Amino acid sequence: MTKHEFFVDMTCEGCSGAVTRVLNKLGGVQFDIDLPNKKVFIESDHSVDLLLETLKKTGKNASYIGTK
Amino acid sequence: MVVKELYSILVSVEGMTCNSCVESIEDKIGKLQGVYSIKVSLDSKNAMMFFDPTFQTTESLREAIDDMGFEASVSV
Repeated sequence: MTKHEFFVDMTCEGCSGAVTRVLNKLGGVQFDIDLPNKKVFIESDHSVDLLLETLKKTGKNASYIGTK
Repeated sequence: MVVKELYSILVSVEGMTCNSCVESIEDKIGKLQGVYSIKVSLDSKNAMMFFDPTFQTTESLREAIDDMGFEASVSV
């Protein structure tokens, strides 16, 4: 499983909670959220586009940084 | 003057802790077709919306907020 790194403009606990919920709803992902640095690391077989689209559902600004 | 029949709905929203969560919900849901106005209250943890029933339903709006990663339930 490749490990991806995303930037997500999270500003508080609530925002990281929303990211957690949308990723859990998607399933097939292992992730950890680095709130202070606004980073989300996702280990998954899903495509980057699908992961990015899911992250953007939270209404937050999100972009793909690269694989770890 | 055509009087548009508007429905209003109050959805309780769990998981918001700051104003930026409020803004992202108001921004995203406010842009949905048929949604005329939306007011999200952080302290009372709910969202008040006026919408056109031909485009949206209580369920579609609740689901839209749920999709954003917030726990939305309709307090009937």
